[in-house]
Amino acid sequence: MMNLEVAKKLLQTGVQIAKEKCMPCSIAIVDENGWLLALHRMDGASIPTAEIARDKAWTTAVFRRPSSEVSEYGDPRTPGFGLNAQNWNDRLTTIPGGFPIWEGDRLIGAIGVCGGTPAEDASLCQTVIEEMSSMIENTQI
Amino acid sequence: MKELTLELALKMIEAAERWARDIAGFPCSIAVVDKSGTVIAVHRMDGAGMATTDIAIEKAWTAVAFKMPTLMGSRWLDPRNMGKLLGDHAMGMIGRGKGRLCFIPGGIPVTDEENEVIGAIGCSGVPSGVGDISDTTVSQSGITALYE
Repeated sequence: MMNLEVAKKLLQTGVQIAKEKCMPCSIAIVDENGWLLALHRMDGASIPTAEIARDKAWTTAVFRRPSSEVSEYGDPRTPGFGLNAQNWNDRLTTIPGGFPIWEGDRLIGAIGVCGGTPAEDASLCQTVIEEMSSMIENTQI
Repeated sequence: MKELTLELALKMIEAAERWARDIAGFPCSIAVVDKSGTVIAVHRMDGAGMATTDIAIEKAWTAVAFKMPTLMGSRWLDPRNMGKLLGDHAMGMIGRGKGRLCFIPGGIPVTDEENEVIGAIGCSGVPSGVGDISDTTVSQSGITALYE
């Protein structure tokens, strides 16, 4: 079950790891429908990172897969083709750095990170989810 | 000039959250923005409506953009003030700021020792008309936490 308490712990863990890596970034947590639950922008993280982190988390939650894989929905010859032209939601992004949070086979939310390179963002997401996996299971009712 | 850091923002939000939960009794969203109007931290409490996060951010943005509480701006948009000095030009404000302008009470700027605006706090989720409890008082409790 995703709630503010879980979201805060995910953010704390994420900010801690990002500090160790000296990578100021924004981290967003959304619920299973993509609505923003909590967002932290670290000191030194640039202005657009807040919105991009939220966009990544939203894309991940609504497509139920990492934001980097969303480009597979496009034309197979030109991955991601047409997605940006759909214009049905300006939050859509295919930049890596968003990961879904599963509780068993149920999606409970998503995390989005922006601040480093796309690869760094993605690895930070994965590290946070791995570190928190025990807690997410514990919260299962 | 003092900077509003993530640590300070979280201190404000945690205090406002406690106040909203324990005293106001309404779950709500609380946002803190820096002097550029960009979000530093947002929390949506369990049970608060999903639209409240965006409204809280918009209130904080408006408070920092106008360097005054949104409660004051809401007086401009009050139709009862039309024809008075206060309300004459105000309807043109609706939809400004790329739709971010939000003159619902609940956003308060944060100032430093030299009275410079360094950011703002915004809250959304508390219904209006429940006596002394409102979005503004939740935001105020966040500001108070800065001086503790």
